[in-house]
Amino acid sequence: MMGLSRSTRLAAVPLERADETLIRGVLGGETRPIARAITLLESTRKDHRTRATAVLEALAPHAGKSMRVGISGAPGVGKSTFIEALGMQLVERGHRLAVLAVDPTSSVTGGSILGDKTRMERLAREPNAYIRPSPAAGALGGVAERTREAILVCEAAGYDVIIVETVGVGQSEVAVAGMVDVFALLQLPNAGDDLQAMKKGVVELADVIVINKADIDPAAAESAARQVRMALSILRPASPNWQPPVIALSALNAEGVAEFWREIVRYRDTMRACGDFEARRRRQALDWMWSLIDAGLRARFHGNPAVKHELDRVSRAVNEGAVTPVAAAERLLGLMSD
Amino acid sequence: MPDQPKNPTSPDLDAWRKAAAKLAPSGDLSRLAWKTPEGLTVKPLYTKRDLDGLPYTDTLPGFEPFIRGPQATMYAGRPWTIRQYAGFSTAKESNAFYRQTLAGGGQGVSVAFDLATHRGYDSDHPRVSGDVGKAGVAIDSVEDMKILFGGIPLDKVSVSMTMNGAVLPVLAGYIVAAEEQGVAQNKLSGTIQNDILKEFMVRNTYIYPPAPSMRIIADIIAYTAQEMPRFNSISISGYHLQEAGATQALELAFTLADGKEYVKTALSRGMNVDDFAGRLSFFFCLGMNFYLEVAKLRAARLLWWRIMKSFAPKNPRSMMLRTHCQTSGWSLTEQDPYNNIVRTAIEAMAGVFGGTQSLHTNSFDEAIALPSDFAARIARNTQLIIQEETHICDVVDPWAGSYMMERLTQELADAAWTIIEEVDAMGGMTKAVESGWAKLKIEQCAAEKQARVDRGEDVIVGVNKYRLEKESPVEVREIDNTSVRDSQIVRLKKLRAGRDQKAMQAALDALTKAAESGEGNLLDLSIKAMRLRATVGELSAALERVWGRFKAETQSVSGVYGAAFSDDAEWKALQADIRAFAEREGRRPRVMVAKLGQDGHDRGAKVVATGLADLGFDVDIGPLFQTPEEAARQAIENDVHAIGISTLAAGHKTLVPALVEALREQGASDISVFVGGVVPAQDYDFLHRTGVKGVFGPGTPIPECARKVLAAISARRPSTV
Repeated sequence: MMGLSRSTRLAAVPLERADETLIRGVLGGETRPIARAITLLESTRKDHRTRATAVLEALAPHAGKSMRVGISGAPGVGKSTFIEALGMQLVERGHRLAVLAVDPTSSVTGGSILGDKTRMERLAREPNAYIRPSPAAGALGGVAERTREAILVCEAAGYDVIIVETVGVGQSEVAVAGMVDVFALLQLPNAGDDLQAMKKGVVELADVIVINKADIDPAAAESAARQVRMALSILRPASPNWQPPVIALSALNAEGVAEFWREIVRYRDTMRACGDFEARRRRQALDWMWSLIDAGLRARFHGNPAVKHELDRVSRAVNEGAVTPVAAAERLLGLMSD
Repeated sequence: MPDQPKNPTSPDLDAWRKAAAKLAPSGDLSRLAWKTPEGLTVKPLYTKRDLDGLPYTDTLPGFEPFIRGPQATMYAGRPWTIRQYAGFSTAKESNAFYRQTLAGGGQGVSVAFDLATHRGYDSDHPRVSGDVGKAGVAIDSVEDMKILFGGIPLDKVSVSMTMNGAVLPVLAGYIVAAEEQGVAQNKLSGTIQNDILKEFMVRNTYIYPPAPSMRIIADIIAYTAQEMPRFNSISISGYHLQEAGATQALELAFTLADGKEYVKTALSRGMNVDDFAGRLSFFFCLGMNFYLEVAKLRAARLLWWRIMKSFAPKNPRSMMLRTHCQTSGWSLTEQDPYNNIVRTAIEAMAGVFGGTQSLHTNSFDEAIALPSDFAARIARNTQLIIQEETHICDVVDPWAGSYMMERLTQELADAAWTIIEEVDAMGGMTKAVESGWAKLKIEQCAAEKQARVDRGEDVIVGVNKYRLEKESPVEVREIDNTSVRDSQIVRLKKLRAGRDQKAMQAALDALTKAAESGEGNLLDLSIKAMRLRATVGELSAALERVWGRFKAETQSVSGVYGAAFSDDAEWKALQADIRAFAEREGRRPRVMVAKLGQDGHDRGAKVVATGLADLGFDVDIGPLFQTPEEAARQAIENDVHAIGISTLAAGHKTLVPALVEALREQGASDISVFVGGVVPAQDYDFLHRTGVKGVFGPGTPIPECARKVLAAISARRPSTV
């Protein structure tokens, strides 16, 4: 993120020597150090977290210069095909592109199966593209925070477009929209799909809406686009300066993809001109801080020996109706200050 | 026989049940029943009552519904055709083998092509450097075809070609080779596999997306119906489905549903059903599930008759299922490999009792490498012994009238029919394939099967029971891939220098145009281009320009394998070790499962991926057809702890060292490399010397692989990132 000025830099953590090499590698745009740095910040180990914080501090002054694009949509909507088509056009135009694929599910026992590069096979071969799928979090959670940090690493490494891809389930769209400059939602050209998205309140998050698979039935895609436009017109846009466009395209045939990117550029220019672009980033930075504080407090709570000792018993008591939730929460929180 | 005593009492089934229960484990008769993977119950006893309500127990061979066979006399008249599938790297070697086979009693030629040819690449293409001459013969042009069939009278010997991706240049090349041998196309007999739907489900040797691929098939059906009356335009294959893990019911259902789809495609092009239906042939697998395999072939004929009846053909031949069969390659074991001779003989008997029209028996060393001459001879003799020593051929459909066989035939047919109806409800097989549903269904069966084998519930002698303490090495055939490739490249150069470039290019342009416009017959145009010495790769590229190359979306099942182990103490211990690793390292162990080169057999890779994920690994699946450099890059970008390479087509000696080298070059030698699949024992040392941390042969249980991988990566970079 935007680095704190030297005088306000808080609790600077000393860098380990190995990490100095890592940082140099990242700044030099070398793949292995980039990959290693992301692994470091994904790590759930405490000492790794300390090192990751120091590494991020060092990288932060070099970050922030990319266009951050969030892309979401239901399974089967063609996200990967779309990102591949878009990505190929971007690298051809000289951009350096990083794709961070986020698996929002949380699984306690099993691991994840990650097939993103299978789906973005051509892009994966491009020297100026970096694709990193992240596994579902274990019990400890925190996928969103790790992705924000990974964006910084990629930016410091010189990637000027960062795409964050996530499957549209539950809260993942909200999390991703909260870490990118522009959030695009992919939909299929069948009726009902738009209603679903409306209901979930996801449409409000979108700065651009894409109706994919227009190749199958162009007329249906256009009529879906019209419907979504109509639906959008009754919603209040997130920014008074931007009415989200709806674009029907075919990712499979790479048709309409250039138009999509023109809209992204127009969005960036418009929002920069009115100051909303920077305002959004500042808001996100603050949100980020708060979500870290929330997570940190939660972790501290669970790590507190007295809480650990009492938690099961108190939870059971609430479950059995012996104690009110209010009293229980107060008791447990009270243990932290003891 | 006047003095024969009468049956003392009429059979009393209840009395039998009581008597049998006494002998059953815990007095429970149901414990003697076997539940098949598709959910059928095979009982310990069948009686006349099991025939109650069965509609087709009194039919005749050569007559509808053909349950007892397509011809009236079957093997009593003439036994099945012995057709051994083979291809040995170069056209010259393969030709020598075919001639030897024909002289030794073989009755047809069956060509296996190398992976590069399957995928429509010339031998000099950079993506196939490790694949040329692997798993079959390298064919680049008509010149190679002429060597392949040199001295073989193509008007007399039927030729079967296993080709699905590059069907156009290969079939066209064969036609032109015959033409230049002086044999007109209407004299040619044989079969081309040409079954693209199953490629999208299991074998992955496709080139173009489903829709244009279906057009190619329609064009081939149309052309052969008109010009090549003795040639089978398609061999609708269940073989690879079962090899990839499908149950017999699923194999049966998907194969027939594929067939139905091809018929509908041809009809939609305005053809008359009787003009082509008689030239559709089938290809089924024969596994170790003996009774069900016999029942499957009988049920297949019944169901095909039922399906075709709905298209109202006039010629009964149009409703008659004729099939080739091959013994299962999956059932062959690397361990104690001579057991494979016995397995193959039993599987062959199932095919014979089921009434196959032609048969390939595998060589016992095929779990390890391409067959040696010795192994190929034993395989061929297995069929000759059944045909000429046993008198098995003298009776048509000998299992007919067996209470068990009649019942199982109907039950299997019913189970398959239910699946066919499900496919119909989805809009047919193309839809079922495109959505990925069909592939996932097979992969689920494969994961279940693997779990049964790894838990010892399905016995494989010499693998999970009765293991040898020490295996003795078997002589295997070695392929020098580099020399095959070099000689092909020389021949390609010569070909390109000696042809009329302008005329050839015009012929290719005509193909491109036909692909664009949808007009013209693609086989007809391909013949013209091959005649002018276009290469397999050039012809494929001319079409690729319009259609692109198909890219599979990888979906995978999860939870199926692990579910079988839910009560297993060892499994739980391993999961705990993985959790401990994750706590120690700050993340779960992350491995990449990859295939290298043009080998598309991904059953092993997918099963291992799902098993490892169920255990608690994070698993990256690499795209099919990766080069070693691409795999190394993915491993580095994703920062995995280890890579597992699944290899089945002898690529390990070139592709694996290239991967290790690519990792080393990029300073990533700490990423451990493992190899799994078909690797001859004598190559283990070679791989270890290359830097490979472990080699897992066929039959290694997934938990065992997982434990070794975990140990290796735990030892490797302790507590660093």
